[in-house]
Amino acid sequence: MKSQKFQTELLFTETYKKHINDHPAIREAMCLKIQYPAFFTSIQNGDLFAGRIKNTLVGITPDEWGSTAFGYYCVKDKILNDLEDENIDDETRVKVLEMIEFWNKESTSAKIRAEYSDEIKKYLPSDDWMHDHGIAFPLYRMTGGNVDWKKLLKKGIPGLIKDAEDFKAKAQTEKKDPEFYEGIIIALEVLIFVCNWYADQAIELKDQTSDIKRKNELQEIADTLTIITKSAPKTLREAIQLFWLYSYVGDIRNYGRMDVYLGDFYVNDIENGILTEDEALNLLQSLWKLIAARNTVVHSRVIIGGKGRPNEKNADKFAMLAMETTRTVHEIEPQLSLRFYEGMNPALMEKALQVIGEGRTYPILYNDEVNLKVMQRAFGFDEKTSEQFVPYGCGEYIIDHQSFGTPSGVINLLKALEVTLHNGIDPITKKINGLQLGNFKDFKSFDELWNAYKTQVEFFVRMMADQEVLEYKIAGEHSPYLYMSLLYDDCFEKGNGMFSGGIKYLGGTLETYGNTNTADSLTAIKKLVYEEKVISHDELLKALDSNFEGYENIRQRLLKSPKYGNDTDLADEMLVTVHEHVCNFVRSQAQRVGLHSYLVVVINNSANTLMGHQTAASADGRRAGEPMANGNNPGGGSDINGPTAFLNSLVKPSPFIHAGAVQNMKFSREMFTAKKDILKSLLETFFENGGQQAMITVTDKNELEKAMQEPEKYGHVFVRVGGFSARFTELSRDVQLEILSRTLY
Amino acid sequence: MNGLIFDIHRFSLNDGPGIRTTIFLKGCYLKCDWCHNPESQSFKPQLSFNPDKCIDCFECVKVCPTGAHQIQNEKHFVNWDLCDVSGNCVKVCSTGALKIIGSDCNVSELISEAVKDKKYYDKTGGGITISGGEPLAQFQFTKELLIEAKKNNLHTVVDTCGFADKDHYKGILSLVDLFLFDYKFTDDEKHKKFTGVSNKIILENLDFLYHNKASIILRCPLIPGVNDNEEHLNGIKALIKKYPLLKAVEIMPYHDMGKDKARKTGMAYKLLEIKNADENDKKRWINYFKNNDCNVICN
Repeated sequence: MKSQKFQTELLFTETYKKHINDHPAIREAMCLKIQYPAFFTSIQNGDLFAGRIKNTLVGITPDEWGSTAFGYYCVKDKILNDLEDENIDDETRVKVLEMIEFWNKESTSAKIRAEYSDEIKKYLPSDDWMHDHGIAFPLYRMTGGNVDWKKLLKKGIPGLIKDAEDFKAKAQTEKKDPEFYEGIIIALEVLIFVCNWYADQAIELKDQTSDIKRKNELQEIADTLTIITKSAPKTLREAIQLFWLYSYVGDIRNYGRMDVYLGDFYVNDIENGILTEDEALNLLQSLWKLIAARNTVVHSRVIIGGKGRPNEKNADKFAMLAMETTRTVHEIEPQLSLRFYEGMNPALMEKALQVIGEGRTYPILYNDEVNLKVMQRAFGFDEKTSEQFVPYGCGEYIIDHQSFGTPSGVINLLKALEVTLHNGIDPITKKINGLQLGNFKDFKSFDELWNAYKTQVEFFVRMMADQEVLEYKIAGEHSPYLYMSLLYDDCFEKGNGMFSGGIKYLGGTLETYGNTNTADSLTAIKKLVYEEKVISHDELLKALDSNFEGYENIRQRLLKSPKYGNDTDLADEMLVTVHEHVCNFVRSQAQRVGLHSYLVVVINNSANTLMGHQTAASADGRRAGEPMANGNNPGGGSDINGPTAFLNSLVKPSPFIHAGAVQNMKFSREMFTAKKDILKSLLETFFENGGQQAMITVTDKNELEKAMQEPEKYGHVFVRVGGFSARFTELSRDVQLEILSRTLY
Repeated sequence: MNGLIFDIHRFSLNDGPGIRTTIFLKGCYLKCDWCHNPESQSFKPQLSFNPDKCIDCFECVKVCPTGAHQIQNEKHFVNWDLCDVSGNCVKVCSTGALKIIGSDCNVSELISEAVKDKKYYDKTGGGITISGGEPLAQFQFTKELLIEAKKNNLHTVVDTCGFADKDHYKGILSLVDLFLFDYKFTDDEKHKKFTGVSNKIILENLDFLYHNKASIILRCPLIPGVNDNEEHLNGIKALIKKYPLLKAVEIMPYHDMGKDKARKTGMAYKLLEIKNADENDKKRWINYFKNNDCNVICN
């Protein structure tokens, strides 16, 4: 018997082959017809909306389905793994292997890699940034799109189809290419098909259950799905259902200014008695759970607040509901983010601090005062346009449904320094993986070392900028990404896909990691090797190469060297120097490569840890393989002068030369209760001083356990007793443990 | 002008209102047996050794001019009596296990450190606190600090044990926004026994400040089994009744974290073995004052 497994993938591949020479919009649309609803999975008990998806192994998507899997993709490793399943018949097996062979050349990322210059091939040999050793790695994805949800909800599917038909007719009379619109129409019909498919499923499920309440819910899901195929949504329930399914078919993982596009529906439903507050909360809780189940981890931004909301009052009400939902749904997604500004309804910030204080981490706070200027200065947008900025993913900024800036690469600055100290050789693999600029001991002054480091970084940045442009080019040639393009300004009107000349502002970003460790290492080298000469070049290299084994005294000296995060000039100035160098150099590439902007992002995810594994011991005293500092933060436990000093340091690197940076801060629960006013003032002052953003966590039990194991990494912990003088790190271990057991709750 | 300080703390929340920077001056006339900053007592710099950070490299032994650093059973050992605080050992100590407590600091240096957080002070009603040791034991330096602080519009607090020349209080009165004034024993004999000095001058100074309209928070360290007796609690109550315009009265339950610092500076033998005040002690004390219609705060 023929096995059912892989049939969709094979059919998808056949369809692609059949349309290989067709217009990319038609080819994509025909492939989407195979992809959906095949990749949707069933409504689960408790869901108030339809829309869950299973992992897809061959398909078309703007975003990534694993490393290098984007555009037309094929997740080869997973397929090969699944092929070992003995129930797969030989005929299928052969076809699947042929399919893999086909995509090896035809996938979007394969097409990109095929175009690499010899230089890129030599210095960026690997795409596996999680496991391989290297200074920089490309990333394959078109991520971070924030589409015009308002347009979707205003027009509904029928309205969008009508628009596309009108534009198609117009293009035909003007003898222009109508196929883009033809593709859009097919894609929207696919969405209707998905709605109907789910409506039927809801009815089937309804018939299977005996629970009256659930029967009603499923009937309501079915009715809602039917309605949205026929008209634009009128209620919050319809709006969320349409939004949610569209976000799936388009693989759009960031949800933008939700209070703007759902606020009016919500308030209207409440005012007209369509929903009670409790029912509205239930709907949003269900959406939050579906977002969490989608498990996009580094995406799933929901933005609330901020200037430039035409329906501010209604949007504020929705924002309050969204925060209450985050307070009551204990999930790590969505990444609820509050943009705040002078004159904002103070209830929003009150609520935000309450939710954060309960340990939810969200909302992440974004300061409009600073960020609107970032959009103007770093990106060059005008004031009005800047009001529509949205953070997405791990913390990059774009203009809502106008601009794009996928991070198409990562650079590990600490690795760049490490390789430079070893004359182009990676000390772990002993292979050349950077420019050979001379031996460390031949750098007679700190400036010579600094110049070599800069040359190394710049060399890689240039390649990454070239790579970004190439990635856009190939991605655009291969596919218009119909669903996303339809809701991105200009693309629809122009009749072009986003990356095929459609989008208004095409920018790029480069993720930098190890910034703080690099700066602290350079501070230590400058001070101890070049100025005080208490450690020789050779000694330092030996100590680093042996991961400090037998060199504990050198490690201790390095650890004692000034560190960023303590509001001291020496260390903070070095961080600023490193920051300005990489940000400005990256920024300078935009013009050369022809992007609207090309900017650094200093963001928050697990890359600092994963890339840290492949990074040798560093001159800031960090051991080989240990994580690097996260985002724009000091290294673990090295900020020992208290939160005011920490926050003062955070505002020193300029926010106006990059596309987003993340500042994590931790406070004990006490700061949200007994010392709540102090915390509020602390944050207010930080933001008045130019603080851009804050991701605030409350220290919890888990943290306490870690701290108990390594109290030396918890230098930021406070000893708060009147008149008592002691720094946590200076206390004996038993006293530290005693304090941790009290303070961190 | 320079003074001897042993620490500076930013984001201090428990030594006066708001967010503060506390400057700890070294040297005190009192030698309280429960002192939680024992390293603040001496008017001279002194060596501190943290065995947790020592890696037994013995570099200090090589450079010590007096033989204070020794090797005993392959472990580093300090003979405190021999130390003349040359500081040679600190220079070669890579781990930070050895430190000199007490450094000569300039008024302008300290003020420029303090003003880094001015915006935080202004937002919270905070400022600087001069603590110790006893600030008035370095009267001129404290006065300079206060003058400079006032030039920078900083709110000022002086944390004092009360044992100083009355003229010195007079000299800083107009520069201080708030005094944190300690009161330790009602019975003067016990005061002498446990702190080394009489409480007579202290009470006179309190009276003087009170009648000169100083803003005062009376701070009463309560040490279980030492001064938390009926007599002293009554004495505190009497002061509250006598001075109704005190800004507040704060009871400060004993904690033993000072012992750690005493061990590190070779002073452990000078402190009493006392158990930490527990929740029951605190409750008992607070209830006592409540029942006597006295408002006290306890953090």
